[in-house]
Amino acid sequence: MIALYAFVLLPILSATLLYLAGGKHGKHAALLVQSLAAGGSVWNFLQVKAHGPVVEVLGSWEQSVGIALRADLFSLVMVMLTAFLFLGMLLFNYNSYYVDKLFLFLLLVLQALVMGIFLSNDLFNIFVLVEVSTIVVSILIMFKKDSRSIYDGMVYLLVNILAMTFFLFGTAFMYKIFGSLDLYTIRSRMHLIQNPATLILPYSFLITAVGLKSALMPLFSWLPKAHGTPSAPSVVSAILSGLYVKGGIYLFIRIQEVFQGTMDTQGFFLGMGIVTGVVGFFLAISQTDIKLLLAYSTISQIGLIMVGVSQPDGTAYWGGVYHIINHAVFKSALFLGAGMVVEEYGTRNLLEIRGVWKRMPLVAVTSILAILGITGAPLFNGSISKYLIQSGMGGGLLEAAIIGINLGTVVAFWKYANMFWSPKPQRRVRTDPFRNAVLAVLGVACFTGGIWGAGFIGFFFNHRILIDGGAYGQKALVYVGSLLAGLLLYRKVVVPSKFLSQVRKFELDFNNIALTITVFFGMITTYLALKYM
Amino acid sequence: MEWITGETVSILLFFIGLFGVVGRRNIIKTVVSIGIMETAIILFFLTIQGEGERVPPIVPLVGETVADPLPQALMITAIVIGVAVTAVSLTMFISLYHKYGTTNWHKVEVKRREQDT
Repeated sequence: MIALYAFVLLPILSATLLYLAGGKHGKHAALLVQSLAAGGSVWNFLQVKAHGPVVEVLGSWEQSVGIALRADLFSLVMVMLTAFLFLGMLLFNYNSYYVDKLFLFLLLVLQALVMGIFLSNDLFNIFVLVEVSTIVVSILIMFKKDSRSIYDGMVYLLVNILAMTFFLFGTAFMYKIFGSLDLYTIRSRMHLIQNPATLILPYSFLITAVGLKSALMPLFSWLPKAHGTPSAPSVVSAILSGLYVKGGIYLFIRIQEVFQGTMDTQGFFLGMGIVTGVVGFFLAISQTDIKLLLAYSTISQIGLIMVGVSQPDGTAYWGGVYHIINHAVFKSALFLGAGMVVEEYGTRNLLEIRGVWKRMPLVAVTSILAILGITGAPLFNGSISKYLIQSGMGGGLLEAAIIGINLGTVVAFWKYANMFWSPKPQRRVRTDPFRNAVLAVLGVACFTGGIWGAGFIGFFFNHRILIDGGAYGQKALVYVGSLLAGLLLYRKVVVPSKFLSQVRKFELDFNNIALTITVFFGMITTYLALKYM
Repeated sequence: MEWITGETVSILLFFIGLFGVVGRRNIIKTVVSIGIMETAIILFFLTIQGEGERVPPIVPLVGETVADPLPQALMITAIVIGVAVTAVSLTMFISLYHKYGTTNWHKVEVKRREQDT
């Protein structure tokens, strides 16, 4: 077992040293550090899988006092995902012009902070990690110093800082009530609470912040600004959309676990998940900017994940958790592919890009694999997680809503897929071999994640999933149906529609985003007050 | 006047700060309001430590009233982070101001949209 704090400390220390030392080989040293982190996370995962969860308290205090790091299967799977994605992103950028020592520094620090968020078991520690990572991310968003970027970066920074003050206030209440900041100590003392009404305020404060971090329905306006901004390199978009936003979902799962049994909000978040999914695909369909379309489709998928993880007992939960990993794989493949397309064509407008299939065959193939994954095509990874989420809903209106959200995703990606074909002949361009390799790995992962889906869930989470062949076949038929319906809808409704170009112009300014946070806080407080007072 | 405790005052301050963020269009005032919210939280943390017969969590002292040291340690960290955040946001604001020449969120947004199209 490798000490857990090493996962946070090693990248930060080496990032600082590399920044100070500079030199030509900084890139190689960073790759070495990342490989070490990746190897270490796999080793730790195997240890925990064999011997059970590990708790490590820093400074050798008792667990209720000191800062605890906790590694269980779920957190280590997320740490592995982080390690491998960051490694892939750096390899992808091996020959890029903008990888200088500052970029390496920021990337390694962000990796350490994200790993820290997944491992930390202490509310205040989580606050610190998230706050610092917010600053790092806002600098990465503005990295190419594009004209729009300063506004995007500033809105991102202030909105997230505002949300984290909510988190800190919630933490203060929790400390007042439980006398500890350790999540597991709090959970073990939860049964001492006689009147759940005392927990309404702290819970609402915490969950508002976490809801913003995971881009739930009224709180998502910062996400496309951050993930779709022109100035962020495509790897940054891939990391933010594929992984960083999952940090919010992860915290959501952890906090729901702590309050489980005392604060019952399953219904609320199920509803929010569905609304988020629907609004997300509407906004995605209306975009013409290639990166913004992907960013809004992330919101829609977050909605699906939220539907799954808001039901902690049942197959839908495992579907949600597996979808977190799947979404990281196919969304980073899509963002990286999109970045290469934008570099080649010099435009981000989807209506102007044509003929990627002939010009950049590998990018087109991996993007199509990723699209098949995200829309849930049979045998691809998305199909397994969507199947589990759907079958957990137990039929009826909810299942129909999930199929509807998936249909919306299909329509959005028909729009996206338009860029592959062109009647005109295209010259083929040579692409960087490192980039090709990373894209190929991600594309293949979309496929293997589907074929061995049940096996992967069994291996990663020690949870056996049964996939019923008949029901799965039925879902495959529904998929083919929605593919055709999606094409029809896209040609007949979306293309001629004027309404959607109005939707595209819809954008909240900072004051209104702050207002949505307040409104969400009011909503959840009222919901709980009606329920428990 | 018994209800004027650190707790109620800090909750009030927090929401005053929140009002400043939601209702004011001036970017500097936004940064200041977030500062007010952070101050409210610091006040809250520091006033929850001295309540009743708390047992100090680290050193086993009996029979003495001891303030809980943990919130103080936490708040030093929070203050440091607050300073860093304020510095970063003001730095960003300076370049934003150079670019758009206004301190108003709304005007920045309008100008940005004009430049976009």
